[in-house]
This record gives sequence, C-alpha cells and structure tokens, in this order.
Amino acid sequence: MNILKIKHLSKTLQQTPILTNINLTVKKGEILTIVGPSGSGKSTLLRCMNRLIEPDFGTIVFKNMVYQNIPITELRKKIILVLQESIMLPGTIQDNIQFGLRVHQLEGQVDIKRSLHDAGLPASMLLKNAEQLSGGEKKRVSLARALCLQPDILLLDEPTSGVDPKNIEKVEQNICSFAKKRALTIVWVTHNIDQAKRVSHRIANLKEGSITTVQHASDFEWEVAY
Amino acid sequence: MGIPYTWEEGLIILGFVCILLVIVIVISIYKKLHIGKEFTYAIAKGGGQLFLIAIFLTFLFSYDYWFLLIWVLLGTMILVSGYTSAKRATGMPKAYQVTTPSILAGASLALLVLVTSRAMPLEPQFIIPLSGMAFGNSMAICSISMERLTREIQLNKKSIETMLSLGATSKQSMEMYGRFSIRAALIPTIDRLKTLGVIFIPGAMAGLLMAGTNPILAAEYQIIVYLMIVGGGIITSMLTVYFSRKKIFTDLDQLAEWL
Repeated sequence: MNILKIKHLSKTLQQTPILTNINLTVKKGEILTIVGPSGSGKSTLLRCMNRLIEPDFGTIVFKNMVYQNIPITELRKKIILVLQESIMLPGTIQDNIQFGLRVHQLEGQVDIKRSLHDAGLPASMLLKNAEQLSGGEKKRVSLARALCLQPDILLLDEPTSGVDPKNIEKVEQNICSFAKKRALTIVWVTHNIDQAKRVSHRIANLKEGSITTVQHASDFEWEVAY
Repeated sequence: MGIPYTWEEGLIILGFVCILLVIVIVISIYKKLHIGKEFTYAIAKGGGQLFLIAIFLTFLFSYDYWFLLIWVLLGTMILVSGYTSAKRATGMPKAYQVTTPSILAGASLALLVLVTSRAMPLEPQFIIPLSGMAFGNSMAICSISMERLTREIQLNKKSIETMLSLGATSKQSMEMYGRFSIRAALIPTIDRLKTLGVIFIPGAMAGLLMAGTNPILAAEYQIIVYLMIVGGGIITSMLTVYFSRKKIFTDLDQLAEWL
C-alpha cells in the first residue's frame, strides 16, 4: 500500500531548477533511499515532503489526502524531517525531546526513554547538556526527538553524516531496528550507495533533479547510480 | 526665570560658542581625524533643521488652528521614524509595514496615558516635544529590535527549521529570538534609567530646570517621560516582533525566501 505519492513535482530555487517532474511513491513500512550526488536535489525533495518549502508544481498525497488539505502542524507531526545538521535546542537532551511533545501537547503521554533507547542512547543521558554531545550523539537525539512524536513517515537527510566511521553502522542498525519495531516508513537520503543497499528496500536514483530509476535494493546496480 | 536673554542676543552667543566647532576642526586637522568636514556638515544640517522647526513652532504656538496643523507634524514624525527604522531590517521586504504601525501604536498608547493622566496638557508646547520624544525613542527601540531580530533569525535559520520540521508553529519557533530582540531593545533605556541623576541630568529635566521649574517637579516630569519611553518602547518592540513574524514566515509556517 502506498502511503505517500509524489506527482509531477518541480521546484526552482533562485532561478535554478532543482527538481524537475518528480514522480515517486513510498510504500507503507518500507525504507526507501534516495541516492544522488551533492546538489542533485535530495534535500530539497525531503523539504518539500515535510512542507518546509513549497513546490512550484506538482502534488504530494499522504494517505489519499493532498498536502493542501492537511493542517501544516498535523502534517509535520505525521511526516517528520530529521535535518542533515543535528541542531540541538538549548537545554538538556530531555528538553530537546520534550520540545516536540510540548508543541503537540503530548507531554507526559509518551515514554521518552523508549524513544531515546530506540535511537541508541541510554536513559541515563537524559539530563546531559545537549550542546556538549558528540556528532553521533546529537544525531541520535535528533532521531529520538522525532521518534517520540510517533510519526508515520520519517524523512532522514544523510543521517550518518558527521558520525565517526566506526559508529556509522551502529546508527544504521538503530534506524533499521526501530523502523521494523515500529512499522515506520522511512525515506532516507544518502550519497552512499553501499549504505543505501545495506539499509533499504528500494532505492531511487536522483540525477540532476530527476528520478532516473527506482529499483529494489538487491537489484540496484552501480552502473545506474547517479 | 528662564534663559536670561533674547533670541537675537542668543544668536551672538551661539556664534561665540561656535569656538568649540573651531576647536573640533583644528584638532581634526592636527590629528588627521578626518571628522572636521563631517562634523561641520552635521552641525550645519542639524542646526538648520532645528531652526526650521523653531520657526514652524513659533508660528504654530500662535496659530488659532494649531490642533489641525499639528497632525501634519505628527504624521511626518510617524512616517519618517517608520522609514528610518525599516532600514535596520536587512533584506526584509517592505519593512516599513512592520516598523510604522509598531512605532505608531507604541508611542500613541504611551501618549494616551499621558493625556488621560493630565501629565500632558493638550497644548502644542507639550504635545510637540513629548510626541517627538515618544516617537523618537520608539523609533530607536524599534530599530534595535528589528536589527537584533533579523540578525538572530538569519543566524539561527537551521535551529528554526529544526523546530518547524517537528511541527512547531512560526510563533513557537521564533519565540526565543523575539524575546532576545525585545530585551536587547530595552536594555539601553533601562540602563539609562538606572543612572538617572547620577551620571547625567536628562534632557527634559535639564530643560525644565533652565526654564526655572521647581527641581522636584522637574524630576517628577522626567520620570514621567522615562515611563512614557519604556512603556511605549516595550509595546513598539513587541509589535515589531509580532508584525515581523508575518514577514519572516509564510502562511504555511515556512521561512520566507528573502532570508
């Protein structure tokens, strides 16, 4: 079953076409990776999916509802974007995780320790100052921050960038594990083909703002990449 | 009491005091400060403006229909302060749409309190200087507020987008930066308040003292003036943040493209 459909989406930024006629479907419960070189429009596509920016043309349909008919706050709770740079809000890890809960008036209703655990951090770190964490830890806090809102779709923009090499696979395993446990749909942007093959069910190849192929990860060939 | 000479005598005295201008020019040339020309221009421009307003006020104070003409002056004050302050919002399109109503509302409300409390009699010699102070100070506060807010937003775009991406509204995402902006705008005024009478005797009180007013009454009036400035300022600053939000974000809680 398709949870998200993108139809004929185009976006131009500062008079430069970034995305051209994107057509893509995302199936419920799958991990779909979008691969492509830097500047190919991967992040812009995720931003359109989280409605942080508005496409010039085209529509996105989530669970048979066009984006325009979904209140923006509701949409961003259901489809959360974890940005490439893990920006920590002032305060502790707990403050960071509770921010989203406060926004959606869910304080006290969600087990934040479970989200933290799923993201690969021990509950004992909750009161640690978020600004002082390592790149990998910040990444995990960003994931926990999103997970505790129980989204339907998680949009991950290069979730292992800034993570030291020995921890990359750990973060990948964390994400795959919580995705499975929570039956979560993930759209994962990466420029790393090996990573895409490791983590995803399907891979979409984005080249110069257009989707050239969408294949099962096992069928994806290096030759078609980028 | 009051100033013990006529305006004609005052011109001669002013000419004599211009020796200070000569001192500035001489020091500027001697020390290669390159401020002599600019200072001369500034004093000539500022002085010229003051003489023009003085001529206008002389006419206005004796004009039977001053209450009609005063609106022209007040309107000019509002427009000029709005446009001047708008220049502080780097890149914000039509920023005067934020600054002008903010200054107008903040200063007007403070003036209204002064009118209803009888602190400002409805006479041109009170309305004009007090309005000037209210609009001028609201403009200064609005400018700091605007400059700080746009800087904070531009520096913290990623942080704001992080909050937005989690479903926060534009109001929630910029709440912290709005607070910084309001505080930053009011700090200079509050600091001035703390040092009142210790480091300097402020303009209104100094003027009243020179005009022969009882020092206690002059002090009371100065405090009224400061309350007007702070009260009007905080409203101006709050409205600046509020109206700016409409420029910083789209209706869909997305950061505007000009950022």
